[in-house]
Formats: sequence, structure tokens, C-alpha cells
Amino acid sequence: MIIQIEPQSDIPIYMQLTNQIIEGIARGSLCQGDSLPSVRVFAADLGVNMHTVNKSYHELEKRGIIRIVPKSGAVIQSPVEIEKKSPHYERIQQEMKTVIAEAIVLGFKSEQIDELVASVTKELKGKRKLK
Amino acid sequence: MTLTIFAIIILFLAVMEAAIPYLVKRTVVFGVSIPEEHTKAPELRDYKKRYALIVFAFSMVIFISFLLWGLLASPAEEQLVLVSAAIPIAMILLSLACYVYFHAKTTQLKRQNRWGENLKQVKVTDLSVRSQDEMLPWYMYLFPMIITLGVIGYTVLQYPNLPEQIPTHWGPNGLPDAFTAKNPISVISAPLILLVMQVMFLGINETTKRSGIKLSATSTEASRIRQLTLRKYTSWFMFLISLLLTMLFSFLQLSTIHEGLFGEGTMLIAPFIFLLVIFGGAIVYAVKVGRAGEKIGTEPLGGIGDVDEDQHWKGGLFYFNKNDPSIFVEKRFGVGWTLNLANPKGYFIVLGPLAFILLFTYFI
Repeated sequence: MIIQIEPQSDIPIYMQLTNQIIEGIARGSLCQGDSLPSVRVFAADLGVNMHTVNKSYHELEKRGIIRIVPKSGAVIQSPVEIEKKSPHYERIQQEMKTVIAEAIVLGFKSEQIDELVASVTKELKGKRKLK
Repeated sequence: MTLTIFAIIILFLAVMEAAIPYLVKRTVVFGVSIPEEHTKAPELRDYKKRYALIVFAFSMVIFISFLLWGLLASPAEEQLVLVSAAIPIAMILLSLACYVYFHAKTTQLKRQNRWGENLKQVKVTDLSVRSQDEMLPWYMYLFPMIITLGVIGYTVLQYPNLPEQIPTHWGPNGLPDAFTAKNPISVISAPLILLVMQVMFLGINETTKRSGIKLSATSTEASRIRQLTLRKYTSWFMFLISLLLTMLFSFLQLSTIHEGLFGEGTMLIAPFIFLLVIFGGAIVYAVKVGRAGEKIGTEPLGGIGDVDEDQHWKGGLFYFNKNDPSIFVEKRFGVGWTLNLANPKGYFIVLGPLAFILLFTYFI
């Protein structure tokens, strides 16, 4: 899977990495149980500071997407049943609220938002079936 | 004999130096990074051609004068060796001067035409590229070390039979011409130095493996092939050198232990073969790496380019990048690797063994 970052972007590099890894997992380019490269190797290949990669891995671990196992590195976790009261549910709800609020302010209609959510989900999951 | 050996070295150097602009990555011209779409600019083609012609013509003048002098003036052996050692240095300085000139010209050309200024700069990597890396595993480098340990062990066993004078240098006629007194350290100093070199090769192989596989955003496939080829052939070539050195040192050590074991002819020809195989290997290495991925076209990607790293390359030759954890990176001018000088570990890996060998030979 190709990772592409923009060092001059306003989004910090570690966030760009985090977002792309999450998207890679959602699309099925990366699978549960796969290991991500070691921090040193990833940073060397990309030519960025090791702290940047480390920060991204810790962010992914905090969100429950990977587990950092000593010796075997960062392993992608399998998805679990998400209950309404779980912290992940609340966090996603909060993040979606921010985005949807902005959409409403800009004048999006409810149907448009529903349609957008459905099409993005389809886009991410659709390619997965092909793989 | 001496003349032939040095003539081969000089000729080899002349051809390699002149060919460098055609063996480096197409996106780096005289140490200056050039966006993919401008790499075929006529000015750049002209610079490369002029560099190659100037370096080759001057080298040939030096080479022919050297040959004529060596054949007609029949200089003394010592004089010949001294001049032969000075000529490669002079040739390297000459090509360096040419490089500096064209580096400045290319930098100016890039700035004038504002190449790459409107591109969005990105960095890419492929998470699966590591699984395609074909560098030799570390334990392959243990094999020559085991031979060296065997040679040391054999020398210790044969200690009483060793001559009182241990040869330390062999003349061009294949006979030893410098000696040191026999003692338990001097008899194994040569294989010990060899062992240090073998450890250094192992260290370089491992740090290279941990260094980055740098992909280009605009020619991902071509850069992947080039990087993987460079890594693979570097580790093979280094293994070959380690093996050849082991053979040469063991051969000399055996000829010290058992005087007259090898005939004079063998003593004369062995270093010669050693040199030829190394040069042959170097040519194969340079050509294989230099042509890797060159046939692959570029993906037409509008508006993006690789991050311009010129600021980290002092003079296009010396790499300083504190943020890059790589210890070795691909050279910009030449085929092979250079140190990330902002990483202190690199100095240790390269200078440590050399310092040890120098101190050891000085004090023993």
C-alpha cells in the first residue's frame, strides 16, 4: 500500500500517516493481524523523524486500531462489536457531529448528508470486495 | 607487471568517472534534483555530454602519457609506484572540478527556469516494499569470518614452524620485501585486520538494510526497482569483496607458514586475479544499478513532485539530514552509497574499523 504525505501541508505529518493507515485498513489494503513496519524502518523509508511515526502509532493505538506488541511491532486489531456506550462510539459520534454541524451550517440538506455518508461507506467498502 | 596493473586501474577509473552522469538517477543531475518532466531538457543532456567528454579526454591524455613514460623512460620501481598512486588522485580531482562546474551550471539552470516551484511536494513509501528487499542475510557474512578464525587457529598451531621474520609487504615480483620480527601478535596481525574488515562489511550490510528505501512520487515503480537493485547488488558485491579478501589474506598467510608452498608464478598472478575480479564486479555492479528501472516510463501525475531535498545535500555530495534515521543513502553523483553525516552512528561504523586498522598496523 502506497503512503503519500505532504510535508508542507497544514495537517501535521503524523495525522496524515494516521489517516492514511486507517483508510488503508478500511479499504482492505491492510488486513487484521498484519504488522505495520517498525518505527525506524517506516521513518527511514519515508525520510521523516522517528518521533513522527511513533506519534502516529500511539495515536492509532489510542484509538484501538493497532496494538503495539514488544518485538512483533504494531499489529492491526480485528474489529469488535461496538456498543453505544463504548468510548469509541462516543468519539466517532463526536467527530461526526463536528463534520455534520459544519455541513448543516453550509446548507446541506438531511438527504444530502445521508447520501454522502452512504456513498463514502460504499466507496471504502466496495473496493474491499474486489480484493 | 606493475605498469600493467596500474594501467588497468587508471583506464578503469577513466571510464567509470566519465560514465557517472549516465549511471546516476535521471532525476538528479550533477547533484541537483530535477523534476521528472524536465529531466530530458536539452541543456542537461548537453552538460552530461560535455562532462563525459572533458573527463574522458583529459584522462586519456594522462593515461597515454603515463604509458609512454612507463615504457620509454623505464623508471625505477619506486618512482613508478609513486607516480601511479598520484595519477588516480589527480584524475579524481579533475573530475571533481568538472563536477563542481556543472553542479553550479545545473543549479543556475534550475533556478532560472523555476523548475519544480509550482509542484506540490510529496513523499511516498510503499508498506510492502520491505518484503521485496533482497539483501543478503547477516549470517552469510559469518562464513568468511569462520575461515579467518580457522586461519588464525592454524597459525597458532603452526607457530613453532613459522619463520623468524614475518612478511608484511609483498613486492610487485610476488616476493615479500618487508618483514617484522616474529611474536604471537605479529603472526596473526594480517588475519586480525581481515577480521575487522569482515566485521565492518557485516556492519555496513546491516545498517544499509535498516536505511530507507526511498521511492519517488513521480516514478514509484522505476525508483522501487532502482533502490531494490542497488541494495541487492551492494550486498552481493560487498560479500564478494569480503570473500576475495579472505582468499587473498589466507593465501598470503599460508605462503608465510609454508614457505615455497606456492610457486613464484602463483604469487605473482594471485593479486592480479584479485584485482581483475574486483574491477569486473565493480563494472557489473555499476551497470546493473545504473540501468535499473531506466526503461520504465513515468506515471503522468499532474502537479505533484518529490520533496526537493537539495537543501540537505551540501554541494550535491554531502548529505546532512537530522530527521532521516537512515545511516546510508544513495549517492547523488556516482553509483553506491553515502553517509548521512548528521547521524553520528555512521561515522562510528565507517571510521571505527579504519581507525582500528591504522592504529593496529602503526603500533604492532
